[in-house]
Parts: sequence; C-alpha cells; structure tokens
Amino acid sequence: MSIFTCGEMRELAPELALGVLGGTERAEAIMHVNDCARCQALVLELTEAADALPLLTPELEPPAGFEHRVLSRIHTRRRRNRRFVATIAAVAASVAILSVIAVRVIEANDSSSTAPRAVAARAPVAVEMRDNAAGVPAGWAYVTGGHSVAVTVDYGVPSGRYDVQLTPARGAAESLGAMTVSANRGSWTGRSARTITQGSTLALVDAAGRAVCHGTVGAVA
Amino acid sequence: MWSVSDDALVAGLAAGDEDAASAFVRRFQRRVYGLARTIVVDDRAAEDVAQEAFVRAWRHAVSFDPRRGSVVGWLLTITRNLAIDAVRVRRPVAIDPAVLVGLAQPSGEREPHELAQLGVDTERLRAALAQLPEEQCRAIVLSGLLGYTARDVSEADNIPLGTAKTRIRTALIRLRAALMNEENTE
Repeated sequence: MSIFTCGEMRELAPELALGVLGGTERAEAIMHVNDCARCQALVLELTEAADALPLLTPELEPPAGFEHRVLSRIHTRRRRNRRFVATIAAVAASVAILSVIAVRVIEANDSSSTAPRAVAARAPVAVEMRDNAAGVPAGWAYVTGGHSVAVTVDYGVPSGRYDVQLTPARGAAESLGAMTVSANRGSWTGRSARTITQGSTLALVDAAGRAVCHGTVGAVA
Repeated sequence: MWSVSDDALVAGLAAGDEDAASAFVRRFQRRVYGLARTIVVDDRAAEDVAQEAFVRAWRHAVSFDPRRGSVVGWLLTITRNLAIDAVRVRRPVAIDPAVLVGLAQPSGEREPHELAQLGVDTERLRAALAQLPEEQCRAIVLSGLLGYTARDVSEADNIPLGTAKTRIRTALIRLRAALMNEENTE
C-alpha cells in the first residue's frame, strides 16, 4: 500500500511523467499508480505531453558518415551476441553430455535409486525485464540450466540497492541476492537453489519492498 | 523503403534486416542528432549520444509496442534520457529555454506524412508552450528536456522548492490540455 493518497499523487504525477521524480517518492508513486486506475490514466496522459516536448527541438544534420558508424556498431554488437550465444550453447552442450554420462554412471552403480534425475544443462533463456511503472524495457535476465541467473539493467531503474527476487510459478518469493544500480545501470549474477521454471518471475525489489522492474520466464527449452 | 511505416521499420530492425536498419537510421538521424545536440551542446558528445540511441533502439526493437506510443516518441525518449545522463556526467550547460522554443521548427516546413508520423501537432504544442508564463515555460523545458528535478529547478532559479513544483506541474497540465483539445477537435 502506497503512503500517497490520490490527492498527493496528483501533485506528483507531472514529475513522475517527466521522469524526474527520484528515490523513495518515485517508488511510492509507482506503487500507488500500479494500484489506482485513475491516477494511472492521469500519469499516462501527462507522459504523452512530456514525451512530445523533445519534438520541439530542431532537426540537425549529423556529421558525415554518421549512418555508417551507427550501422557498424550495430553489426559489431550483433556478431558479438552471436559469438556469445554460440559459446554459451557449446558450454551448455558439453555440460549436458557430462550430466548424462554422470547420471548413467550413478544409475549403473545404484539401479534401485529413486532420486530425481539431475536437471540437464540448457541454453540460456532470455527474460526481458520491464519497468513496472512505464512498462518500457529496463534490461534483461538470463537463466541458464534452471539455476544460474544473470540480471542486467540499463534503462529507467533509479540508482540504489535492490533485492533480486525470484517468485516461482507456485510458491513464495525468495531473495537471490542484492544488486546495485547506478546511473540506470547495474548487473548481478548468482544462483537459485530452487529450479527456475517457466512462469517464474524475476524482479528487482527496492528497500521499501516494491518491485521496480520484473520479467517472467518463458519456455525453458 | 522510405514509404515503409515507422512500425514496419522497427519490426525489420528487430528481425535483423540490414535494409530496415539503414532506412531507420536515415529516417530519424536528423531528429535524434538534433535533440542530442540541443541537450548536450557539444558536437562530439551529441554524436556519441545519437549513436548510442540507435544502438539501444536496435537492442530493444523486439519489445517495441506501437500501442504504447509512436516510434519517434520512443526513440526521442531514449535519446533524451541518454543525453541527460551525458550532461550529468559532463556537468550541465545552461540553455535558455526560450531559445529552445524559438528554435522549434514550424510545422509548415515539414512534410505532411512526417507530421502524421509524429502523432502530434508540434506547432500547436509550441504555441501552447509560448503561451505559458515565462517562468513556467522555463521550468517545463528544464525539467522535460534537460531532466532537471524540481529541486534542480528551484536551485537554478533560486526559488522555493514548492514554487518549482507548482511551475512544472502547471505547465505540464497546460500542455496536456492543449494536446487533449487537439485530439478532441480532430
């Protein structure tokens, strides 16, 4: 429950829409907006006006070669991403093979074992993290092997320390660790003792217990 | 390629279509660079910001939702936030908001299809801004374009925090009313 009333929220709505509300006030305002359709509608209308302001600036011709330089950067990042995915896939495949061998060795040594089989290694599953207030992309999380988690944000998350929280499709939320965000950027890597399955939610939760961004794990291959 | 809609270009960008990426950059580079240059002032820094804005747009193109707003609005929001971050790092350079308003390009110089893509009548918005009292105009431009918090505005203009908040709030509500009025008369 937010500490703000609708009247107080109307006072803060312009600053929230302009993206200049900070810290605790922003967290409280976002929580109120999430629970109040009227205030949410007001913020969206004001955001539309705020977003129109940049249209008033003059258009300018960028320096010669600008287009080429932008496209080169995109192509470089694309190649790097492909290499990263290929490397991860290769590592995952190797671990999967070793896991299968290990399971078979264990089964051969204990044919009466009824313990669940080891979870096979899997390719990383990308989870888009979205800002809870504006709904815009805030970053990505990657889940590998059902347990390894990497979270990175680069947009819209206020500076501060956040709890990386996992909420399983069924069950209570649990903390995986703490992540620091500075100048909208931050990253965290760690492990979940519990297997992360499809429908689980990863969120960054502020000191007041409010999620500032979250993503839901899709199909785990 | 130039007749392709903005939404389709973003979809092509997300799909890794190089022609779409090229057309996307060509279509918006003047607008993105213009906004970046207006905020950061420095040419080199403006190009860095503009380049990064396009790279971010490419990275997030797959999640662009046209129901949430126009492509140009989305792209300029990315640009503005990056430019504000750059200015914060380099320390702010004072820009007279009146200059910004005066520099806004009249709609008569734009192609009709471009205005439709913008999804807003910039001339009407500019007129609404010009009708604001000078102190409100300055407050909303400092806040909306340069990312000044209410406290930043109060310190920059040497006014109480409450006054800065009131100026920002009143100005944005008036701009919103101008845009709503535009929608209602269409």
